[in-house]
Amino acid sequence: MNPPAAAVQKKTASIPEDDFRAARPLDTIFLRDMTDAQFRARYNTDRFTASVLASRMRYIVKHMSTGLLTTAFSMILRDWYDFAATISGPRHLNYPMCSGSDSLSIFMFTMPEGIRNTIEEFGAENLREGDVLITNDPYRVGLHVNDVSFIRPIFYKGKVVSFVSMRAHQLDMGGVVAGGFSGTKRNVYETGVVISPTLLYRNNKPVASTFNFIFDNARFGALLLPDIKSLYQSLLLGERLLLECLEKYGLDAYYGAVQYSADVSADAMREAIRTKIPDGVYEAEDGVDADGVDASLEYKLKLKLTKYGDNVEVDLSGSSAQARSSINCGPLDVKGAVGIALKMLIEQKAPLTSGCFRNIDIVMPPGTFCTATPPNGTIFMYWESSLTIMIAIYKALSKVLGQEAIGGDFGSLLLHNANGVTKDGAVWLTAATCGGEHGPWGATRSGDGDSYTVNHFNNNLDPATEAIEADVPVVMMRKDYIADTGGPGANRGGAAVCRETLWLTDGDHLASPFHAKKASGVGANGGCAGTTQAVWMFPPEAFDVIGKKQFLPRTQDIYAVSVPIGGMLDPKTKVLDPANGEYYYWAQQEIWHAKAGTSLRFQTGGGGGWGDPRTRDPERVKRDVRDEYVTIDGAYRDYGVVVTGDPVNDPENLQVDMAATAKRRAAMSHPSA
Amino acid sequence: MTKKTSVLAPGLVQERSPVTEQQLIDAGVDLAKDFPGSSVDDFRQYPVLAEGGWYIVIKHQRTLQTVSRVPWRLLGPISLLSENLMLD
Repeated sequence: MNPPAAAVQKKTASIPEDDFRAARPLDTIFLRDMTDAQFRARYNTDRFTASVLASRMRYIVKHMSTGLLTTAFSMILRDWYDFAATISGPRHLNYPMCSGSDSLSIFMFTMPEGIRNTIEEFGAENLREGDVLITNDPYRVGLHVNDVSFIRPIFYKGKVVSFVSMRAHQLDMGGVVAGGFSGTKRNVYETGVVISPTLLYRNNKPVASTFNFIFDNARFGALLLPDIKSLYQSLLLGERLLLECLEKYGLDAYYGAVQYSADVSADAMREAIRTKIPDGVYEAEDGVDADGVDASLEYKLKLKLTKYGDNVEVDLSGSSAQARSSINCGPLDVKGAVGIALKMLIEQKAPLTSGCFRNIDIVMPPGTFCTATPPNGTIFMYWESSLTIMIAIYKALSKVLGQEAIGGDFGSLLLHNANGVTKDGAVWLTAATCGGEHGPWGATRSGDGDSYTVNHFNNNLDPATEAIEADVPVVMMRKDYIADTGGPGANRGGAAVCRETLWLTDGDHLASPFHAKKASGVGANGGCAGTTQAVWMFPPEAFDVIGKKQFLPRTQDIYAVSVPIGGMLDPKTKVLDPANGEYYYWAQQEIWHAKAGTSLRFQTGGGGGWGDPRTRDPERVKRDVRDEYVTIDGAYRDYGVVVTGDPVNDPENLQVDMAATAKRRAAMSHPSA
Repeated sequence: MTKKTSVLAPGLVQERSPVTEQQLIDAGVDLAKDFPGSSVDDFRQYPVLAEGGWYIVIKHQRTLQTVSRVPWRLLGPISLLSENLMLD
């Protein structure tokens, strides 16, 4: 039976404004079960208006994002979409994040705390109309220093009623590595400039001292300045659209819609927790191979997920102490990763809002590599650690979710960062465009994993080859899928991506194969894991691409002349060998100096398979052989399917030997055994 | 190639403190009525990061039922040196 309207009203009306962080009672009634009177009592508006306003808020953040995409100058914003836009409610509602844009979910899930921490430290009473605040401290707002929060308080009739925000990657924020992407920085002083909550605009006028503070400490100010101006314009657009909503629907309805938006997500997650995960304790481990100091220490994540009734608790106790260099992440990143993992596994329909966490508590010992503390718990390559949270949750819930489980993705950005000087003296910098930033997803019960996207908690674009080559002195030689790398399964994991670049000037390069020892693309529901990641360098004396006017050969023997940067490789042939190879440590050189004519080859991990590969339709395996996702040998070894013919020269006339396939499948054990 | 064997960095644990009967009473818990068969030893107190930020919770460990949830510091385990500033 539904509670009376007055009881529902009491739950939200009894929190005094000066006690905004006081815990609210958990809901006992779903939105769908409320009467219209109960709904109005709780939200001060009707269902139709609340859902119209919720849709308008999503429209606003999408417009803010489109605005920035079309006006940004740096490749990381313009072509990578390395930003997100959010709307948060006011202080007296505890800053609920009620809407987020379509891009990086990890950005959006750190914003609820990011907004609260920024405004509370700055002082809500110090806000003025026309302000923009910025902050970038990973310990205050999550992520890393290059991901700057731009926050605009929205005033309506003289008081702050909301916040529109952009979290946007800046090409550089100072520190010892141009562009910042490095796992070798040893303390917060090396990572880049840390900005505590600070005014960037006041009275709609730029605060010159803040701009100077940034430009005095960061490289590429000539690109940062127009990017920041574009960001400011996107905030103004969000403000204008939000004020239109307030004028049209009124403040009461707006506040109601803010709460309603978060409650929709909370309801959906609560229902999914209750119905899709049986009560119990689920444990799993994952980790990072090494930090940037030496290869003597591995970092293990221990994750325990306890579920009872409507509630989940995730505990990281037992996880390794923080790393000695910048591979760590922070608690807000952990929270984001937990939320995204559960969204991916059990609840995909409701929007990302702060309400997703209403029935989720996260327990974290401070000072682990996932909960690093300053000054020596250095955070920069935060996704490489927080992705271990997602993988561990996938592993922990794999059995209990059964067919609902999904295969792991490539579990990394395998990021490349480089800089140098062109022949005419211009400094160039590339970040996250020429490594293994795009790769495969795992398979699900619905189908094979896609092979070229970003990992599960990003949702970025892949810059066009022409844009990359116009930006830096590089030739993109190859973007290719590698056969027999996707985890075998009834549905196959996406194939590993090989990206190969040829560098036209000398340069300093960094690569981040932090997950080379074990596959991140874990299998699900009886599927197998994908292969592991690796990076190789080919100096011109090993193979002179320019002089020979030939591509690097695709044959395995070419690896013998390479300089391995990281991976599990055969020590003689330098070929990837996840099962029996030896570990090549990515920071054996802190910076990989490469002369003009050097080629780099990045190979991502493969996506995890779903379901027993012995049950995959032989015709689908044949098609994979035709499309070079699987070799004839791989079809036999991993799927028990005997394919005959010539996939390279006569791909349309491949045949499946059904009798031989039946015999092979009857005799073979599970490929992962 | 790295020939040296690596070891695991040591693990850290978030302690869960025992609570007193008085703490449960202060939280409005009537053990016999609300948690029949449970004792004070079935509850623990510890920090969590949740929807509204960091909290110190007291929870019944078997059912995850929260009986107390008090806001903790904004940044959880991290405090700012500037919090010691005395501003007029």
